[in-house]
Amino acid sequence: MSEVISVVSRNGAFQKTMIMEEFSSDESEDDYNMTGSEDEEEGEEGAEKSSSKPTSKKSSKNIDSELMTPGELITSDPIWMRGHGTYFLENDTYSSVAGRVSKVNKLLSVIPLKSRYAPETGDHVVGRIAEVSNKRWKVDIGGKQHAILMLGSVNLPGGILRRKSESDELQMRSFLKEGDLLNAEVQSLFQDGAASLHTRSLKYGKLRNGQFCQVPNSLIVRSKNHTHNLPGNVTVVLGVNGYIWLRMTSSMDLARDAPPGGSTQVSGGEASGRAAGPTGAVSLNPNASLSITRLEEESSWKIYSDENDASITNQLKQTISRYANIIKALAFCEVGITHERIVLGYEASLAYSDVGALIQRDNMEALGADVLNAERMRGNAE
Amino acid sequence: MSQFEVYSPEGLRMDGRRWNELRRFETSINTHSHAADGSSYLEQGNNKIITLVKGPTEPALRSQLDQTKATLSISVNVTKFSKFERSKSTGNTKNERRILEMQTALVRTFEKNLMLNLYPRTIIDIEIHVLQQDGGILGSLINGITLACIDAGIAMYDYISGVSIGLYDTTPLLDVNSLEEAAMSCVTLGVVGKSEKLSLLQVEDKIPLDRLENVLAIGIAGAHRIRDLMDTALRAHAEKRVLNASKR
Repeated sequence: MSEVISVVSRNGAFQKTMIMEEFSSDESEDDYNMTGSEDEEEGEEGAEKSSSKPTSKKSSKNIDSELMTPGELITSDPIWMRGHGTYFLENDTYSSVAGRVSKVNKLLSVIPLKSRYAPETGDHVVGRIAEVSNKRWKVDIGGKQHAILMLGSVNLPGGILRRKSESDELQMRSFLKEGDLLNAEVQSLFQDGAASLHTRSLKYGKLRNGQFCQVPNSLIVRSKNHTHNLPGNVTVVLGVNGYIWLRMTSSMDLARDAPPGGSTQVSGGEASGRAAGPTGAVSLNPNASLSITRLEEESSWKIYSDENDASITNQLKQTISRYANIIKALAFCEVGITHERIVLGYEASLAYSDVGALIQRDNMEALGADVLNAERMRGNAE
Repeated sequence: MSQFEVYSPEGLRMDGRRWNELRRFETSINTHSHAADGSSYLEQGNNKIITLVKGPTEPALRSQLDQTKATLSISVNVTKFSKFERSKSTGNTKNERRILEMQTALVRTFEKNLMLNLYPRTIIDIEIHVLQQDGGILGSLINGITLACIDAGIAMYDYISGVSIGLYDTTPLLDVNSLEEAAMSCVTLGVVGKSEKLSLLQVEDKIPLDRLENVLAIGIAGAHRIRDLMDTALRAHAEKRVLNASKR
């Protein structure tokens, strides 16, 4: 359900369309949402439905485009359920924020133009430890409240079979201390909307070898994968909360990007080689030259190390800052930030030899335009 | 007509306005996007005000944590250079009684208007900087806060628009400036949206009771006009943002 809401809202937010005088019937929208259960209403609507189906995506964009400001009457119709961003007095529903109306089935809500990050289960976020307290860390993820990371939801050095002891509670700061950055997944939400995180996978955990960068959370679109390897030996973690981490590509990152089954695979073990571990960790390609087993990697203290690898060259640091400035430029142009756009931005940015020049206003605007242009060109070419 | 005549027989005020005219009203929204969640810059006549809304966020102190709703804290910083003459007070202006009173009035006004129950265990911190002041400052602060809170995406019941009205002899004067404010008794109103509900009524001077209704009527009309001006500015800003986003 929540996924549907976010899709609809995005369509509304990115699409400037005419403002409608009155609410149109919600048929087309039902179309859009009830993809599975169309057969029930074959009867009179059948013809209309089949004709409207190809355009259903478009019509759902046209709906929900009305701009509301606080205190504005949305509807007097009592059939609507009141969602976020609305309040009601008797039968009248009013908007409580400035934003676009979103209608999903009978749920009416107003999505504010801008608001703090609201965590959802399964989100991949980047956060910063704000506080160490009893058996838990408080993590700043840019939301309304700090997220909670329980001691039990992290991988501790010593392997998965290791038991937690009291000494772990006493040395929590040796794993993660105030100011440390980590990436994690939202495990669940509390009653009041605060998030509970976990890092029980090798792709999550403490972050190092890189640079932090922040953009408005509305610019990051939820997708299947939030970690991307970029040209120039850099990996980006696009947190859904708008916190971004740029780092040197590690062997782990390379292993994750290798095609399933591994083209370099020599003999059997295809199934076992790529299978996700019991912790949901992506295991490394057994043929990789590093030949560390997942267990070793997991059990090593290295995952909580504060030291950067010595192998980071100045060249690489330059590239990382270049990416950070590209992201700043994209954010400045209010362009949604995706893997493809960062790569396009990188290609466009190579025209500037000085990395610092990228965040001059003119250059930021030019870069944003370049990216959109390049995207359009590729779209046409295909 | 003397320059210092508050209200000339021709019906003109010191700055050339008629009795029912507002001062120049200009706003920009989301002026400090990196420093705060919501921000606004407001010019109402010669009042120039920056408002920053930070939050809802985790409170810094345990004492600010409320299990049922957000804590609202408003701090007003009136700069020393904001008046004609530089303020000579050596101490911290923040603790002046006048400022504290203003903060309390603002908190009480907005506590009722913002839906604080939606943000339990958080704090909403509103920071106001008065760069220049020229009368009717409390009303301008209210307008600034309203816009900044909307920008921050904080749920509220309605706009609150603030305006000051003076009573010169029997004539109410809308949106007084500092000279008029000094010359006559004034009332400050905070009006909820397009309704006739008052969320703030501040009367610091004596006002004949039989004239009060008249004063309130013109005040409410003026506040509605300000609400429309804010709404227009907000919509223009929102359209621009949406357009930006749709350009891709």
